[in-house]
Amino acid sequence: MELRYGVISADDHVCEHPEVWTKRMSKPKWGDRVPHVETQADGSQRWMIDGETVGHPGAGVVDMAPVAYNAGERLKAMDKDGIDYSVLYPTMSGMSGEWFGRLNDIELETACVQAYNDWLIEEWVHVSPRFVPQCIVPLWPMDRTVAEIRRAVKSGHRGVIYPSSPMELKNVPHINEPDYDPLWSVCQELGVPLCFHSGASPRIQMRPDENFSPATARAFSGIVRSVSSIAVLANFLFSKVLYRFPGLKVVFAESSLGWAAYEMEYADYQSAADGLGQEGYSLKPSELFQRQCYFTCWYDRESLRVRRYVGSGNILWSTNFPLETSTWPATHQHLDSALAGVPEEERRQIRWENAAKLYSL
Amino acid sequence: MDIKFGLISSDSHGQLDKDAYTARMSAQKWGDKIPHVVEVKEEKFSYPVERWMVNGEIQGGNVCNCPTAMKDRGYYPQRWEEVPREVYDPAQRLLALDRDRVDAEVLFPNGPGGTFFYDDAVFELDCVRAYNDAMAEFRRVSERFIPLAAVPYMSPIETIVEEIERAVKAGHLGINMLADPSTAVKGLKNLGDAFWHPLWNRCQEMGVGVHLHASAGLAGKLSLPQWKGYTRRQSHCVSTLRNFCTATQIVPYLIFSGMLEKFPRLNWVFAETGLGWVSSVLEACEHEWKKNRLWTEGITVRPSELFRRQIYVDFWFETVGIEMRDYIGIDRILWESDFPHITSTFPHSWDAVEHSLKGVSPADREKVLFRNAARLYRLDLD
Repeated sequence: MELRYGVISADDHVCEHPEVWTKRMSKPKWGDRVPHVETQADGSQRWMIDGETVGHPGAGVVDMAPVAYNAGERLKAMDKDGIDYSVLYPTMSGMSGEWFGRLNDIELETACVQAYNDWLIEEWVHVSPRFVPQCIVPLWPMDRTVAEIRRAVKSGHRGVIYPSSPMELKNVPHINEPDYDPLWSVCQELGVPLCFHSGASPRIQMRPDENFSPATARAFSGIVRSVSSIAVLANFLFSKVLYRFPGLKVVFAESSLGWAAYEMEYADYQSAADGLGQEGYSLKPSELFQRQCYFTCWYDRESLRVRRYVGSGNILWSTNFPLETSTWPATHQHLDSALAGVPEEERRQIRWENAAKLYSL
Repeated sequence: MDIKFGLISSDSHGQLDKDAYTARMSAQKWGDKIPHVVEVKEEKFSYPVERWMVNGEIQGGNVCNCPTAMKDRGYYPQRWEEVPREVYDPAQRLLALDRDRVDAEVLFPNGPGGTFFYDDAVFELDCVRAYNDAMAEFRRVSERFIPLAAVPYMSPIETIVEEIERAVKAGHLGINMLADPSTAVKGLKNLGDAFWHPLWNRCQEMGVGVHLHASAGLAGKLSLPQWKGYTRRQSHCVSTLRNFCTATQIVPYLIFSGMLEKFPRLNWVFAETGLGWVSSVLEACEHEWKKNRLWTEGITVRPSELFRRQIYVDFWFETVGIEMRDYIGIDRILWESDFPHITSTFPHSWDAVEHSLKGVSPADREKVLFRNAARLYRLDLD
């Protein structure tokens, strides 16, 4: 691992170019069902998958700057912002890799997922080792999910992205059910983190009012997306998954820090008030979290003062490039002011060391 | 009022007596629909238990949510005679306040009292009137009680405003509101809708704040589908823990919808949501405000300034938010006991206070323990 700038961004996004799928999926086999961009009668463009329009915010970006989808351009942007390594999440495929999980045809779902995963290796990792690829996976059944994780990790992927609420995408068991144990198990075995990116469940995010201006609506959506992970964390901490898989690492991406510190203290207090010590929870929720979980931050500054509730070893920095909410190209400026007064050892952990260890760089 | 202990609870739950509604609503008009306590058979119990019944619907689990008022802490009474008088009888309740060394308490509802959604706006209005009248009685017994009025959501806005005026005149010092009425009943308007403007306007004029309690009605909405494998305790812990998801989204909503600027003297009070999340929400709002240049879109005042001008938040167990008090704004912080609910600090509230306020200056302590509440509720401190 080579560090020039001393910063790893643990949450960035690639924006998928249509060729991700049109170049990799068999036209004779899939025809028009392949994800592609269509020009409408009014000249506007939209993403289509399996004969249907893709209707989520990430799919609104059709006319993209090359920096969004081209690795060479992205490297230049990273140099401009002073970022050594960039951990990659999708956009059009759903920020938490959830979109293909909606497809009824699991053969088509698998083909779409594989094309994305192959694209990251072929056109990003092969361009530079500074990209840290994370695979998306077929939602269900688990043998398919696990097979794709094994294939992807073998080809170079270093993390696994899974939507935090699969039961809202398809008629599959609740995420707490032991049916998902093969997923946790394979991540633990292969030593790759399992990543829940915020935004997987629309129901836990309030929608902006129709009369909000586009800029105000964007601002509002960016905020509620990250805090909506409050509900995801509340469930996951008590699901006992982390007890069953003590070697599993879990990342709550695009989460931010202040509410997380509060949720840690609240979880410890409330679980004691509810008497959960008698129900097989041998660790405090905060201890369990510090043993196995991570939050990512980007704009946080004041909230870093309460980082000890989360643990300096459990915080990853990020730029969120190229989303609206990104700190690019002023990430160092943000970091310097955020980390002013933080001891050197913790600065190092937050800036790059935690991420380097987590992703075995 | 006289401050003897130096502590005001900004979130407690006032239970009405079992005849509070039957004594105030017309039996001729509403008969058995009136909220009252009935005996029912439940499989879990070998003896007949009692439950509140409203509009023919049994309200589940217990007859009164007061597990920290019980001798056997954590037990939920199953029959009315088990409910301690100090939960529902205002004169007796003063003794509980004395025992916990608390001067005054803000009363949110307990049992039937928050909302009365039964497809009948007239029935709802009558229930709300009965509730508001009965709760105002608490204040007539002692000014140590600070009741909050219920809102007849399904009525026309003129009727709603009229009822709130009536309640305030009777002694209520704030209103208790849902975070999004439109998710509660089809056809109701959401918080940002102009429908509510006359109510905000009148509350602003009368100087009473709008209160949102915990999930403020969004418990089932801002959550993943609940897992059926949880035990009752686990399920309670998980759903309680995520309640503050509402506040973390409604605060940005109040800021970005322009409501705070439109009603610049109206206070919004978040109860049982804690404080620790405020720093990340304000940092996020400031970050997005700058990135999107929202001052060009009508949000002319900085989000953190709006927050420190019009929003109150409270705490009961925590230290995180207290460490962040300067950033949150020391004048915006209230303390609560949540008596008599399971998470309550009662009867050792001062232990919790000392745990949270280690190292806080005497002047700041007084602010968060009672002076901010006294200002918000315009209590006359002797």
